[in-house]
Amino acid sequence: MTQDELKDYVARRYEGRMTLLDTGRVEPMYEVKASQLVEVAKSLRDDENLRFDFFCNLGGVDTREHFEAVYSIASTINRLRLDFKIILPREGAEIESVQDIWPASNWYEREIWELFGINVKNHGNLTRFLLPDDWDQGFPMRKDWDAPDFIRMPEL
Amino acid sequence: MGLIKKFPVYAEKIPGGGIATTTLEKVLHYSQACSLWYLLFGTACCAIELMCTGASRYDFDRLGMIFRATPRQSDLILCAGTITKKMGPRLRRLYDQMAEPRYVIAMGGCTINGGPFYYDSYAVEKGIDHIVPVDVYIPGCPPRPESLLEGCLTLQEKIKRQKLLDWQEK
Repeated sequence: MTQDELKDYVARRYEGRMTLLDTGRVEPMYEVKASQLVEVAKSLRDDENLRFDFFCNLGGVDTREHFEAVYSIASTINRLRLDFKIILPREGAEIESVQDIWPASNWYEREIWELFGINVKNHGNLTRFLLPDDWDQGFPMRKDWDAPDFIRMPEL
Repeated sequence: MGLIKKFPVYAEKIPGGGIATTTLEKVLHYSQACSLWYLLFGTACCAIELMCTGASRYDFDRLGMIFRATPRQSDLILCAGTITKKMGPRLRRLYDQMAEPRYVIAMGGCTINGGPFYYDSYAVEKGIDHIVPVDVYIPGCPPRPESLLEGCLTLQEKIKRQKLLDWQEK
């Protein structure tokens, strides 16, 4: 299956659930609604023509207006790659855990929970991962976060 | 070799004998300054310069500085590289394991104030003097081997100047 066939197939099969975004990249980027994440992810993995069995990455983005959780997945069987993102409000951002579908997402979900403050439902082990255990200074990857011990240049 | 140059000042020859007298303080601190064994603690790119200084071209050994892999045999931590907030407690623990008298050299910008790249980072300690007392700071990113040698010589001068009773205060 080529990239164009993949786009056609997803457009037909996931109409209304996955929206193709115009990013100018080779690999297609889709938008998925937060409420449909688990259903779509399960379907992407189990679909006979797609078989997205490999979880590459889960990243967070802060655009100042909203948060994004960007998932990158691949199929080792059909040699495909696909990205999809979930757009979340800045207040009360929450995603559902996809650990039951791709167990590798465990650490990535802990990471965006810790660094962006995006809550992950049904995760089971949301504990400190990269930051020190006694960290209480907010979410450092947010754009409005400032290091408390930031050393500013003096006015010259 | 400062001691040999200043030998007539320090030592007083007794007529008719081959005996020289000096103070315990001078001998002790001279020998201490000339056998500074340092703990290998390279956490970032400064360690490359440290290795270069330890190798044959710049030759740390001629200052009596030999690297040790355990804090219990070291007199000095040559802290070469960025210290993250998670590494800080480990550095403190290594420092606490060293026998007194012990010294710390902060090598490079990261150990002085977080450095030129990580000054606004959430993960990097803004200077190791928040964790351990520092004797000599060597600026640079990373410092050249000449700077490092200069820093070590400065530490030797500092050790030679100190008094015996200063140990208790450190």
